[in-house]
Amino acid sequence: MKRLEVSRRKFLASIGAAGMGALLPTTEAEAQAGGPKKRLVMLTSGNGTVPVEWKPTAGPGGALMSLNKCMAALEPLKDDLLVLDGLGWQFNDSPGVDHMRIAMMWNGSPMLTGNDFSNSTGTRPCGWGSAISIDQHIANKLTETVKTPFKSIEFGVWVKSHHIYTRVNYAGSNQPIAPLDDPYAVFDRLFKNIGPQPSSTMDLEKLRARRQSVLDAVKSNLNVVQTKVSMADRRKIEAHLDAVRSIEKRLDTSASGNGCMPPAMGTKIEIKQANIPMISRLQMDMLVLALSCDLTRVTSLLWAGAANEVRMTWLNQTSGHHTISHDNSANGTAPRVASHNWYSGEVAYLLQKMKSVPDGNGTLLDNALVVWGNELADGAAHNAQPIPVVIAGKAGGAIKNSGRLIEYGKKRHNGLLVSMAHLMGLGDVTKFGTLDDGTGPLAGLT
Amino acid sequence: MESSRSGWRCLIAKTALVGQLLGAACTGEVGEQSPGGGMTAPNGGATSGGGNNPSGNNPSGNNTGAPPPVSSACLAASARPSVGVSPLRRLTRTQYNHTVRDLLGLQGDHAASLGLDEKVGHFYSNVNNPVSELAVEQYMTAADALATRAVSTNLATLVPCDAAADPAGCGAKFVDSFGQRAFRRPLLNEEKTAMLALFEAGRKDENFEGGVRRVVAAMLQSPQFLYHIELGAPTGGAEVVGLDSFKVGARLSYFLWDSMPDAELLRAAGANELTAPVAIRKQAERMLNDARAAETIANFHKQWLGTDMLPILEKDAKIYPAFTPALRDSMINEGGRFADHVLRAGDGQLETLFTAPLAFVDEPLAKLYGVSLPAGHDPSKPVKLDPSKRAGILTQAGLLAAHAHADQSSPIRRGKLVRENLFCQTLAPPPPDADITPPEPDPKASTRSRFEMHRADPQCKSCHALIDPLGFGFENYDGIGAYRDQEAGAAVDARGEIVGTDVDGPFNGVGELSRKLASSPTVRACVASHWFNYALGRVAGDADKCAMEAVTAAFAKTNNLRDLILALVTSDAFRYGRFDTRTGAP
Repeated sequence: MKRLEVSRRKFLASIGAAGMGALLPTTEAEAQAGGPKKRLVMLTSGNGTVPVEWKPTAGPGGALMSLNKCMAALEPLKDDLLVLDGLGWQFNDSPGVDHMRIAMMWNGSPMLTGNDFSNSTGTRPCGWGSAISIDQHIANKLTETVKTPFKSIEFGVWVKSHHIYTRVNYAGSNQPIAPLDDPYAVFDRLFKNIGPQPSSTMDLEKLRARRQSVLDAVKSNLNVVQTKVSMADRRKIEAHLDAVRSIEKRLDTSASGNGCMPPAMGTKIEIKQANIPMISRLQMDMLVLALSCDLTRVTSLLWAGAANEVRMTWLNQTSGHHTISHDNSANGTAPRVASHNWYSGEVAYLLQKMKSVPDGNGTLLDNALVVWGNELADGAAHNAQPIPVVIAGKAGGAIKNSGRLIEYGKKRHNGLLVSMAHLMGLGDVTKFGTLDDGTGPLAGLT
Repeated sequence: MESSRSGWRCLIAKTALVGQLLGAACTGEVGEQSPGGGMTAPNGGATSGGGNNPSGNNPSGNNTGAPPPVSSACLAASARPSVGVSPLRRLTRTQYNHTVRDLLGLQGDHAASLGLDEKVGHFYSNVNNPVSELAVEQYMTAADALATRAVSTNLATLVPCDAAADPAGCGAKFVDSFGQRAFRRPLLNEEKTAMLALFEAGRKDENFEGGVRRVVAAMLQSPQFLYHIELGAPTGGAEVVGLDSFKVGARLSYFLWDSMPDAELLRAAGANELTAPVAIRKQAERMLNDARAAETIANFHKQWLGTDMLPILEKDAKIYPAFTPALRDSMINEGGRFADHVLRAGDGQLETLFTAPLAFVDEPLAKLYGVSLPAGHDPSKPVKLDPSKRAGILTQAGLLAAHAHADQSSPIRRGKLVRENLFCQTLAPPPPDADITPPEPDPKASTRSRFEMHRADPQCKSCHALIDPLGFGFENYDGIGAYRDQEAGAAVDARGEIVGTDVDGPFNGVGELSRKLASSPTVRACVASHWFNYALGRVAGDADKCAMEAVTAAFAKTNNLRDLILALVTSDAFRYGRFDTRTGAP
């Protein structure tokens, strides 16, 4: 592993407080253990599918024979997939209904009660998600032993609101995490300071002192305010203080690296709907690079969000995806299938890319757990069972037998979240989320 | 509403304070999304957050048109103010930009790199969620860059003294004067100590500018700057406390200007003038006359009427080739200019807002409206319209385009707009299995006839009777708001009917509808509740009942929107705060 001391020094010179390029060695413990570096990739797209056109055909033992129309673009990769049928939740599982339940997808818990989101989709209003999402839980646990610059990185593609529909990552109850949907902002955050840098005019130690003195003053001001607000507001200031401390720690860590170079971003494109295919690829390229450079072990990507009305003009569609997803007429099936299959194509691109990156004794995909979910089953019927769930990768050898359809009949999806923890090496998680009283991982995954 | 409810089985009253929930069986189209795509406003927030929209003290059942009385309970209670909890809010992106402009003298969209704003009701207000690490990182990066820019371009205006003669003394003066502007109140001793130490460290390690830079960078990412901190430390005992003059000053400036208090407000606060309603009113009048109020008024109307999503609105270019980015920008500008004109230059009457045949147009919009402009026309000046074709906010192309499909108009979206945003009534969604895809455009069949089809279903019909007859009144305007009197080879039928309100009855076209809306006490109370939401960044609750009654009663006396605003800023809800005594569990 070659050191990137020079980059680091110059990176600190530009000191956009959050600018980041420090690459850390894996922990001693991990190195001794010699195990693979496990990565999580959590993917979410919206508006459901056409279940009868989604469910693949399978032979004995669930062996995937051929994928269905909604996942046709993934056909070349079917041997890398586990397709999970039958998981989901029920309409009385939570306040709020329909698309709002994207908030339950990754935390397996009912939304908060409240009136924050009500008339748009439900007679039963609700608040934000009420619990930490599995990716954040895994990230919190991994960082206890693995020090990467970022605990987790949340990518978005065309995520244009701060709304329950457009958040899948939760740091805790009522704490949605915004994904970053501007690839150029992602680049600045992750890669700007990797590679050759303009020379600095300021001494490294002075820059460090400057940054630290400003952050100390900010923390002092946060502590003053902490005593000046209502009890209920203190958690907001606490969260702010925690974030400052966490960023501070990241900026303080010593830098090293594995020879990563920043990605080529090409000609700058406009962030507009028609460019979503290009934005999506840029984001996935950076996601893969962030993993292979070990900037983080936990990533997620959200395309557009629940109930999104993105018009897939590149598929010659004139209505938005949500509108299309509701067309259960005979003529409506083809555009619905095409929309979902576009997402399948994006996932296929990501998986191919991960397969092409050597990592440890195999590829990045071998060491990763990729899980793809959705807030609805049938986009027109608005039902929530079976939610389309696809798993890819071997999770560092934990998944041994891919290329299968696994049918769960009708089952709440909390077991999936437990399984994700187990596959990522957190074997002590027995229960995740409160929708389901049961415990334990899903059967048959490994 | 009780009397009319029995006639509509899907009409469910919620609480007295939040209007009604009208159950709908099916809508015949997607109601929960803004059209065009992306589903949301460019600046975040769902476009249709009407579920938590309030109507204040919706005088349901008061069909007389007389001003709603202030209830005797409120009169008796007037000595003891009652207000709801105002949770800690962060600056919105607009507020961040304006504050940086006024504090540092730097123009630009500084908030472009920040996260999106949350909505409360129809309005942006970052009230629920704590910040994420990414958000804090974005604040840091922005603060560092802004501090560097400010010091290199505007040092002389930031520092009120001669740095060369007495660097330490001048630094202390800077911390005091800049601190009071950045934190919107004089610094507390502990803050002053910390900021001075930071300045001195910077001066020692670098130079005077370096000290200034550090203080600016630190203050711009401090909670005193980023949050609206409206209460003091809980002192035990009283839950409801009067806000001090600095806090009232900040509330005024962030309501009316979306920015920090100016020198005059800080002076008045320093003289402790802003606890008296008379002085608050005087300041508010001054501030409304200031050009900075124009954008606030524009933003209120954009968020209220759902035209804040226009910047990302897209139309089917095959059907609407005229809908260019230039036309879209014209629409965005017109909505704000018109509302500002009515409120500040005009008579301020709610009726004028709904019925004035005036437009603020440049070339692309003039063409759409069929208006010929003199050479060199200033689009910020009004032009007269033919009132039989277009008059008032509901006939503006931006509003009509925002509440339409990419390829056709939408009686249902427009009907929902009237129900939800103007009457403050909430419509329940269609059942999950309803086909809500809009009917395909058809050159041989009018929009009205195509949309009427779905009402053949008795399950749909009972509720769509509340929506569609309002929306059909808008059929003289196509999917981008162009006027039409013919469609599919026949004359447009824009007859409609209002049901389930205090101004029930048939009408023909938006002109008649608008006049009815302007005369409705329910609409008036609804508008008042929206202004409350906008002013305080929260929805009025039970504890605000008396304040809302007082505001609505004052507004009802003159129907002047300026009087509504002035009543709001002098109300108990504006001048008092309530401690949230919960222990912090969400």
